[in-house]
Amino acid sequence: MNQSRRLPYLLLLPGIVLLLAVLYPFLSGVYWSFTDFDLTLGQNPEFTGLSNYTEAFRPSGDGLHSVVITFAYAAMAVTAQLVLGFGVALLLTREGAHIKVFRALIVLPLLMPPVVATMMWRVMMTPDGVLNYMLSWVYLPPFDWLGTTSTALFSVVLIDTWIYTPFVILILLAGMQSIPTEVHEAARVDGASYVREVWNLVVPLLRPFFIIVIVFRGIDSLKMFDIIYTATRGGPIDATMNLHVQSYFTGIRALDIGSSMTYLVVLWVLCYTLAFFLLRVRRGRLA
Amino acid sequence: MLGKSSTSASRVRRRNGVLAFVALLAYTAFALFPLFWIFLMSLKVQRDVIATPPKFFFTPTLANYAEVLSRPDFLTPFKNSVIVTFGALFLSALIALPAAYALARMEFRGKEDLAFAFLSLRFAPELIILLPLFVIYQSFGLYDTYIGLILIYQLITFPLMVWMMRSFLEDVPKELEEAVQIDGGTWFTSFRMIITRIALPGLAASCVLSFIYAWNHFVFALVLASQRTQVITGGLLQFISFEQIQWGSMAAGVMLAIVPEFIIAVFALRYMIRGLTAGTVKG
Repeated sequence: MNQSRRLPYLLLLPGIVLLLAVLYPFLSGVYWSFTDFDLTLGQNPEFTGLSNYTEAFRPSGDGLHSVVITFAYAAMAVTAQLVLGFGVALLLTREGAHIKVFRALIVLPLLMPPVVATMMWRVMMTPDGVLNYMLSWVYLPPFDWLGTTSTALFSVVLIDTWIYTPFVILILLAGMQSIPTEVHEAARVDGASYVREVWNLVVPLLRPFFIIVIVFRGIDSLKMFDIIYTATRGGPIDATMNLHVQSYFTGIRALDIGSSMTYLVVLWVLCYTLAFFLLRVRRGRLA
Repeated sequence: MLGKSSTSASRVRRRNGVLAFVALLAYTAFALFPLFWIFLMSLKVQRDVIATPPKFFFTPTLANYAEVLSRPDFLTPFKNSVIVTFGALFLSALIALPAAYALARMEFRGKEDLAFAFLSLRFAPELIILLPLFVIYQSFGLYDTYIGLILIYQLITFPLMVWMMRSFLEDVPKELEEAVQIDGGTWFTSFRMIITRIALPGLAASCVLSFIYAWNHFVFALVLASQRTQVITGGLLQFISFEQIQWGSMAAGVMLAIVPEFIIAVFALRYMIRGLTAGTVKG
């Protein structure tokens, strides 16, 4: 084909310009994490080396606390969604017209803005709200879902699970449907029980799909902002203050840009470690 | 003997089918209840909204919808969302389409690295770019402007579009270029043919799914916009930040903000999986 060797790069040029344009604020930000940049003190940041990092991540520092919350949130959310999503996806592999209706309906939470979804849950989670009312139907005591330090983290994870389990369901279901029916038939001829069939056959075959789910959901819950900000603003006290929300209050509200960028650089490293894992999987042609 | 065991097997199968149906019903109830509850709330007068215990039966009213549709603090963010989302999609399509085409149908050095660099924009915590831009935008006069927002929305719409479009363009058989070449066409002939005919539904689906992501986004405008260009997500959030919470009108606002998305999504449901994974899984 009469196409010059430069043509692909020419077509990609606008995209590359965009990448370079993003690089400028990104690198400025990373540099600021090594300075005492603070908008309340004027705009002449001075290089202070690692002092922001040692200050934030000293024992019992805000940064360390946020790292713990970040990991706890991501681990709980991804685990809950994997278990629930896998179960529902298995149920949806059955035949029937009603299955199509179920599939269309359960996707709805995923389509709405997480901020709006969280607002709905906030309304339902008030002490006089409908969730506590429904608990009283089964004689359970009411509790203050988002209002106490011991329950708030679980409550925001519940909201996250409500929104994003359909994501897990859709991906795993696509994986399950890519398994040839002969594989299932062979298992049945061998007399394998349903549980053994799922555990020994379906799970290993779904490996690439599990990896995609874990990487996408892992990164998105490590950097979760919308749900936590809308539900609790990191509170009560700092019970749900993950790195992303922490960086917002430090940087945008308190205008301490240097410390805020420190949290963000750490969070960025966490997210990109997972992202590179995805790249390696793709290279290995697993996905 | 054989007949007996097969009837008991079919009984087991039917029992499992019922159990599966009940389990699915339970999950669907969990998935739909919040939507149902907010919908009910949007039809309640304030007295019914704050009633304890919460009311499932009441006299419905459309007053909340009428009220919300007359409030500038709902209409302005809604309008802003439309402007910013469509502006961002248009700009993204312009940049992403040629890029996706090159990545899908041409061989060159550094291809995968570049593709991954684009996708990595989606994996960065938004504030790592936003916080520096918060400082930079103020000195460039881009803070709280449509242009400023449309530019930053590229961070989400561009990588999604490039990867989704790439996955759709890869589906077109490689023989097409050869056939075009035999007929004496250039790369541009095949490019035009693919994007205006063969891959058009896929490209449209990429735009629709990117629309949902852009419409749903929150942090960009939270940091880089103020009252003038605030989008719908931030605008709705302010409804519940006030002392006197008008839950009814908030609920009506929520319904109005998500209904257009549900309508649009019906057309793109088939392509949902590619949208969610930026084309890394072809459902």
